[in-house]
Amino acid sequence: MRCFVGTILCLTSALQAQTAPPSSAPFREKQIPREAGFRVFIVPDMEGMGSAVDIREVIAGNEGERYKELTSPDYWDRFRLLLTREVNATIRGARSAGARSFVVNEGHGGNLFANVLPWELDSSAILVRGFPKPLVMVTGIDSSFGTLMFTGAHANAGSPGVLAHNFAFDSFTVNGNILNEVGINALIAGELGVSVSLVSGDDVLIAETQKIVPSGFVAIVTKRAVGRSAAITYSPAKVRRMLQAGAAEAVRRERRGDFKPFTMARPYRVEFKLRQTYPDSIVQAVAGLQEFKLERKGDRHFSYVTDSARQMGWLLDAIEEAVLR
Amino acid sequence: MKPAIMAAVLAVPGPAWSQGQVARDTMPRDTTPPAAAFGVTEYRLARQKLEQDMQRGGFSVYIIADMEGLAGAVRNQTEMRPVSRGGSPQHERFRQELTDEVNALITGARAAGATQFIVNEGHGGTLFRNVLVDRLDPEAILIRGYPKPIVMSTGMNPMVDAMMIVGAHANAGSPGIISHNFAFDSFTVNGKVLNEAGIAAFIGGEMGVPLGLASGDDVLTAETREMLGPIETVTVKTAFSRSAAAVLPPATVHRTLRQAAARAVRRVKTGELKPLKLQKPYRVRFCLRRSFTEDEWVRKTVGRLEGVADGASPGCFVYTSNSAEEVGNLLNEVEWTVLKP
Repeated sequence: MRCFVGTILCLTSALQAQTAPPSSAPFREKQIPREAGFRVFIVPDMEGMGSAVDIREVIAGNEGERYKELTSPDYWDRFRLLLTREVNATIRGARSAGARSFVVNEGHGGNLFANVLPWELDSSAILVRGFPKPLVMVTGIDSSFGTLMFTGAHANAGSPGVLAHNFAFDSFTVNGNILNEVGINALIAGELGVSVSLVSGDDVLIAETQKIVPSGFVAIVTKRAVGRSAAITYSPAKVRRMLQAGAAEAVRRERRGDFKPFTMARPYRVEFKLRQTYPDSIVQAVAGLQEFKLERKGDRHFSYVTDSARQMGWLLDAIEEAVLR
Repeated sequence: MKPAIMAAVLAVPGPAWSQGQVARDTMPRDTTPPAAAFGVTEYRLARQKLEQDMQRGGFSVYIIADMEGLAGAVRNQTEMRPVSRGGSPQHERFRQELTDEVNALITGARAAGATQFIVNEGHGGTLFRNVLVDRLDPEAILIRGYPKPIVMSTGMNPMVDAMMIVGAHANAGSPGIISHNFAFDSFTVNGKVLNEAGIAAFIGGEMGVPLGLASGDDVLTAETREMLGPIETVTVKTAFSRSAAAVLPPATVHRTLRQAAARAVRRVKTGELKPLKLQKPYRVRFCLRRSFTEDEWVRKTVGRLEGVADGASPGCFVYTSNSAEEVGNLLNEVEWTVLKP
C-alpha cells in the first residue's frame, strides 16, 4: 500500500486493511493417501535435534529478509543430513515394533519447511515438505494414524532451552494452559483421537512438555541446555540409538493403550501475544485476518474462541504466512 | 617483528568477504548486563547438568579443544574461521584435523584405562562449533555453542579425573602462533602468570583435577611446562612468527598425541601429576587487550562488573575471590562485554 502520512485516505485504508486468506486455504480438506497397517505420523523439528545449538545450523538463509544474516550453509547443510538420519532411526524403531506406514511432516521452517533430504529418507515414508501448508506442523494428520511423534522439538518461548521459541508468539495459552509447539499440535491431533507417544529435544523441552501433556510419552533427552545457543551434546550415533529404541517402545506402549489423546474442554479460549521483536507490519497483518474473528486485547495481545482445534491450526498457518510472507 | 609494524600489517584490510564487522563505535550500545543479555545457564547449574551425564567410578577425561595449536595451522583469518564468520572454506579441513586430534587423545587415554570423555569446544572463531559432531568418537560428550558458562571450563566438576587441552596457543605477548589470552594482554593470579591452559588448570585444580596434557606450538608447550611443571606436552610445530611455523605431519602428531594421552592418564592415576592449587584468596590482576581499552564503554563496563576495581593503569583491573569458578565466570563476563556490539 502506498500512502502519505497524514492523509485521511491513507488512515481509512489502513484501518480497513484486510489480510488475504492464507494461500493454502483451498487445500485444507486434502488427505494423504491411506496405507494399511499401524500408521505413525512423525514431526521432525531441528532446534531440538542432537548436536544442534546455533541458529546458523538450522537456518538456510532464504526464509526472508530477517533470516538472511542468520545463515551459514556450511553448517545447515551438515545438519540436514543428521536430521534425516534421526528421522530414519525413528522409523526403524517404530517398524521394529510393528508399525507399517510412515508420514513425515517437516516441522521446521528453515528452507521453508524443506530440510529433510528426500533421497536419504527411509524409502517407505511419505514426506510432506514445503510452505505454506494448511496445518503447518501437523499437515495431513487424520484419525487413521495410530500415533504421533515429535523429534528435535524445542522449548517454549521464554524457557531457558536451546533456540527456545513458540511459532510467532511470546506466549500462547488455551483455556489458560500454557502450550509450547508440541502442546499446540498435540491438541490438534488429540481432537482427532491421535495421541503423542514420543518427544525428543533438550532437557528443558522434555521437562516442560511432561507438565503439558498429562498422559506422558517416551521422552528422549538429546542434549542438556547450558545457554540459548550452547549445550552438552552426545554423539549423533548415540542419539539415533536412543531414538530407535524410544520409537520401538513408543509404538509398543501406544498399542497397549498407555497414552491418551491430549484434549481440552470446548470451546477453546485461545490467547496469544505476538513476539515483541516483530515489526508492526506483522502485527497489522495478523490483526487483519478477517476469517478468524480475533479479538484484540492489547498491542500484540489477541484472543480467539473456537470449537475446533483444526481451525486453530489454520490460524497458525495464516500467522506463519504473515510472518514469512 | 616490532609491535608497531605488526599493527600496521594487521590493519591492512582483507578481501571484501572478510569485512563483515561494522565499526564498533558507530553502533548503538546494548546496556543490559552481559550475562543476563545472553540468557546463559548459571555456571553451577551447567555443572550439575554435566554431572548427571557422568558415570560413577571409572576414569573421566575432560578435553578442551582449541584450534590455534593444531598441526599445520598457522593463519587465523583463513584457517580458524568458517565462511559464515568471515573466514574461508579451508576452515573445514582444520575442523577435521581438530576432530582427528581429539580422537587421538581419546584413543590414547582409553588405552590407559580412561572410560569417559567430555570434549568442551574452546575455540571462538566459529562460536564454539568446530568439532565435526558425526566424526567425533561416539562415546564422547561434546559441549558446543556460544555463549556458555565459563567458556573453556563449562561444566567442569570434581568427578573429572584429568584435563587435557589440544590445539592450545601461547599466551598474549608470547612469540607463538596466533598467541593471545582471552580478552587480556596480561592475566595473573597471586602474581602467577597464567595462559589459557593455565587458567583452565587453575579452575580444575581447585576441584582437585590436574591438567595432564597440553599440545600446541613450541612456545605454548614450553611456557605451560614452566607454569604447571612437567605435564605431558606435545609440540606440533615450531613457530617462526605469529603466523608461520615448521609443522609436523598430522599423522605423526596423532601418533604422538595417542602416546602422550596414555602417559598422562597413567601419571594422573599414580598421583604423579597434581592439580594446580593456589593460595586463597585469589588476587587476580588483569589488563584488557590494548585494542579493547581504547573503547571507553568497554573499559567502564568491565570496571563496573561485580567485585572488579580499577588497577594501576587505565584498562587494568584487580579482582579478589575465594573461588576459581567465580574467577572463570568473571572471564566470561569480560569476554561478553568485549564481544558485545
